[in-house]
Amino acid sequence: MSAHDQFHDSDEEEEEFNPPPATASDDEGAGQSLEQRRRPRPEDEEDDEEDHEQEQADHDDDEDEEEDEDDEDDVHGGSRPRKRRKAAGNAFIDLEAEVDDEDEAEDDEADGEEIRDFIDHSHPDDVAETERMHDDRHHRELDRRMQLEAGVDAEEQAELYKIRYGRKHRKRGLGDGNVMPRRLLLPSVDDPSIWAVKCKEGKEREVIFSIMKRVEESQGTNREVSITSAFERGGPDSVMKGLIYVEAQRLNDIILALDGMLNVYVHGKNHMVDIKEMPDLLRIQKTEPLQPGAWVRLRRPPKHNGDLAQVIDVTENGLEARVRFIPRIDYGGTSNNTTNSMFGKRKRPAFGHGPRPPQRFFNETDAKKHDPRGIVRQGNSWLYRGDEFENGFQVKDIKIQLLQTQHVEPSLEEVTKFANNGEDGNENLDLGALAASLKEGSHSILYVPGDTVEVYDGEQKGVVGKATHVTGDIVTLQVTEGGLQGQSIEVPTRWLRKKFNVGDHVKVVGGSRFRDEAGMVVKISEDRVTILSDQNSKEITVFSKDLREASDSGGQSSLGQYSLLDLVQVDSTTVGCVVKVDRESLGVLDQNADVRTMQVSQIANRLPKRKLAVAADRNGSEIRLEDVVKEHGGQQRQGKIIHIHRSFVYLHSNDNKENAGVFVVRANNVATVAAKGGRITGQSASSGPDLNAMNPAVQRLNHPKQMAPPKIIGRDKSIGQTVHVKKGGYKGLLGVVKDATDTHVRLELHSKNKIITVPKDTVIFKDKITGERIDITRRGPPQRSGGLAPPSVDRSWQGGRTPSGSRDSGRTPGWGSATPSYGGSGGRTPAWSRGGDGGRTPAWQDGSRTVNPYADGSRTAYGGGGGRTPAWSSGGGKTPAGDFGSGSKTPAYGGGDSWNSGSKTPAYGASAPTPGASGGPDWGAPTPGALNAPTPGAYSAPTPAAVNAPTPGAWQSSSWGGGGDSAPTPAAGAPTPAAGGMYYGAPTPAPYTAETPAASGPRYDD
Amino acid sequence: MFFLHNLERQVTLHPSFFGREMKQLVTSKLLNDVEGTCAGNYFIISIMDAFDISEGKILPGSGLAEFTVNYRAVVWRPFKGETMDAVVYSVNPHGFFANAGPLRMFVSAHLIPTDIKYDGNATPPQFTNNDDSVIAPGTHVRVKVIGTRTEVGEMWAIGSIKEDYLGCLQDA
Repeated sequence: MSAHDQFHDSDEEEEEFNPPPATASDDEGAGQSLEQRRRPRPEDEEDDEEDHEQEQADHDDDEDEEEDEDDEDDVHGGSRPRKRRKAAGNAFIDLEAEVDDEDEAEDDEADGEEIRDFIDHSHPDDVAETERMHDDRHHRELDRRMQLEAGVDAEEQAELYKIRYGRKHRKRGLGDGNVMPRRLLLPSVDDPSIWAVKCKEGKEREVIFSIMKRVEESQGTNREVSITSAFERGGPDSVMKGLIYVEAQRLNDIILALDGMLNVYVHGKNHMVDIKEMPDLLRIQKTEPLQPGAWVRLRRPPKHNGDLAQVIDVTENGLEARVRFIPRIDYGGTSNNTTNSMFGKRKRPAFGHGPRPPQRFFNETDAKKHDPRGIVRQGNSWLYRGDEFENGFQVKDIKIQLLQTQHVEPSLEEVTKFANNGEDGNENLDLGALAASLKEGSHSILYVPGDTVEVYDGEQKGVVGKATHVTGDIVTLQVTEGGLQGQSIEVPTRWLRKKFNVGDHVKVVGGSRFRDEAGMVVKISEDRVTILSDQNSKEITVFSKDLREASDSGGQSSLGQYSLLDLVQVDSTTVGCVVKVDRESLGVLDQNADVRTMQVSQIANRLPKRKLAVAADRNGSEIRLEDVVKEHGGQQRQGKIIHIHRSFVYLHSNDNKENAGVFVVRANNVATVAAKGGRITGQSASSGPDLNAMNPAVQRLNHPKQMAPPKIIGRDKSIGQTVHVKKGGYKGLLGVVKDATDTHVRLELHSKNKIITVPKDTVIFKDKITGERIDITRRGPPQRSGGLAPPSVDRSWQGGRTPSGSRDSGRTPGWGSATPSYGGSGGRTPAWSRGGDGGRTPAWQDGSRTVNPYADGSRTAYGGGGGRTPAWSSGGGKTPAGDFGSGSKTPAYGGGDSWNSGSKTPAYGASAPTPGASGGPDWGAPTPGALNAPTPGAYSAPTPAAVNAPTPGAWQSSSWGGGGDSAPTPAAGAPTPAAGGMYYGAPTPAPYTAETPAASGPRYDD
Repeated sequence: MFFLHNLERQVTLHPSFFGREMKQLVTSKLLNDVEGTCAGNYFIISIMDAFDISEGKILPGSGLAEFTVNYRAVVWRPFKGETMDAVVYSVNPHGFFANAGPLRMFVSAHLIPTDIKYDGNATPPQFTNNDDSVIAPGTHVRVKVIGTRTEVGEMWAIGSIKEDYLGCLQDA
């Protein structure tokens, strides 16, 4: 440094013809000046100010030469008083100094005439009215100075220069520091050393101020403090807290200077700072200034240590901040204290131990109750025992060093407390969180290879590229755009930011509270990126450093075990649907349509999705998950059911963006729009499954309905009958059927000579003689055909039929049973046709062809079997066969062929043991009474089995012994589906669904 | 953009359908299954023909027959930067949603020209510049796709009308 200075000085020496007296005058002040130069800055500045004042006094509006003069004055100014003192010692210099002053006085005038003339300025006395004719005066002066300098020895001279210009030079260096290479300014062994002195933590600055004061006080006394500088690098997060640094030539100077000072322990072990480490001591760390709205943590008061606080304002000098936080007041406890205090001084409660009161918002009623005198109202705020409260928060001015401003990481829980109370809570919450996220994230920006980055500062500003690899703070990137394309450059991370394009699908990875949200970029401004969240179609703004390109799969939609759209148990009576998943909380739409923000811990558990849940809508139709329903009344919202819980259904709709498209309505307030899978709904379908569709027995009855009624060959039985028209314009008239088609009859009316055509179903057949209503289909033929079936048999058979008739249509038994034959209950059809045709026909007609041999056999038995026949024919025989056919037990059917009906029947008995066993003996008896038993059989599955089982079994064992042995095998397979089908059980496909070939195919197509 | 695309699919057939009409059944099943679906990043609009139906293979255990069908289909794939016409179906302060055929897209308020502002007081709510552009549900708009996202069985796009010749297609 000194060498450099000298070099410079000599340079300037030639340029500046400073009057020697001035230099000489500075001579003595050398030591002091050195001290001043090294003194802490504040003093320096004071000095400078003095200088300026003087300067201003000297040259009022002399702006042009200010720079030069300033330099001179620094030298002058500092030493002027001393110069006066020295006057006696050196007359020559004194004289010159006075001349100098004169010169300066003249200077003003000179200025007006000749501006910017360097030489003239320097030597205003030369500036006479004329030109440079008086040059010899310069020479004379130069000579004189040379002479003088020659008189001083070289060393002194060097010192002199150093003093004279060293300071000036430093000042210039301050102005444009970049010019001076830094390493030339580094301290050397010749410079004073720096010692680290221990002091009380947090009092560093105070100590420095008291040192400064002491220096000022001691100035000019004989106990001058001989330290060069003192500084501190304290701060809450600094490693150098609890230390101050003092620069001096000797340690002893420091001890003397700091002796007896408070809070500093100079007599302890003091550590000398290594020269190499000196520059590091003064390295400036940029600290983010506290912004209003930022989150901090408190260290003091101790009661609040660690509590989150929000900065309201920062004082001008940046030393204190006004913060608000949630108070911890123990109203009851403190009132005890006050009573105690009446009796004198009591021990102050120590906060270090014992539980501290919980955080609670200030409540003036509580405060008044416990300490009515301690509370004072001040406008919007309350003053309670010296503390100020506003809006429930405590407000306090706290020194910034007592605040933790870094790594605050407020949890959402804490932040929400702040948001809940303030009227402008929401605003604060967002800004604050954003600011916090900025702070947190700044130390952890992560770049990974593949990130597209943009250089936004430094020489390569504007370059865009892809990071190829990252080492520490340096990112190597492959430039993808612009002139440098294809090149690989290295850039420090602090000049980089991630680059995204509008439309990119990104995910938030950084420390912001939107972490793990994914969405598409809709706007970019600088490093702030607005994305449209996938989850709820909301827009959020985050910093680009917190983003990363996302794969196409969406972001986080779960927190812990809860994921979006899950149904959760909120409390014992409330359930809710998760409609929002945040980093630390869930948004839950409860059954009352309120959205609550809940912590995971507040949720009892997750309710598993009940796929089979069923509810009834307002029309009574069943509604299930995934059905599309529409709200009735209200907003008429339409949506797909995602959850059914008791009488509430949660619906989801894509049109509605609120609450992730979820809303809740009562089940009885919705109407089905479309059921999933096209399930039949509406009035016809009662709630619950369609039992008819599932019931094979009913199905069996229904199927023949679709069949054309048995074709009657030959003359239509209605011809010649007397009929009564029951409908239409001819209602009430009697007539005789002259001709008939399948659907219509032609009547010759009794009342007038006219033949009319009416539908068959609008006429009632009457007995020609009695006028009673008759059933031609039933009664007529047997009567006519006579012999084949004895009337008695017929009767007993009819009796047997009756229950079946009544079960079909609920008609009265007896003759009414004729109607069912038209009513289309198929089971009956064979019966009557058998009756009419002598037993063979029914078997033939009703069953499939295969039954034939059996039917033949049955007829034989029938014909021969006297009393047994009716029992047999009504209960067994055909019935099982028909049962079998409509029940669609194809395998058995196909397999059995000629034996099928017979063979299968015993199998029934075998597989349906109980009824079979009980039915067995009963069925041995051919009584009609016993025949009543099968009636329920049509409805309830097991019964037919029972009916079927014993009869053929018994029969078979006697008549068909050999066949019976071989038959059961195929039959064994059969009963299972059949039985199952009856019970609406697993094998359902066979009986109910059309797809099954068994049911539809062979049976009816053939 | 529309493409003619050759695709392949496994179609299974229940044994009850085995018979002479089997190929036809396979084709109709294919149509039912595939037409109008979103297959990753494109939509299958229509199947032109199934030009190659393999021999059926019975799947052990189920009895179903599996056929490998090669078919030709018209597919539609929306691209980033593509301009398409859409019908607005929902408007909110953050932007509006529109359907371009099967594709749902969102146009953020940031991507709407600044003179077109949200008017929540109108019924229905709309974006309007109080002149010729009124964007309300039902309005036809021309939108440029700036980003697409695919999910299983669904596609999503973000669009912009903040460019020349984009926006409302009808006068208010």
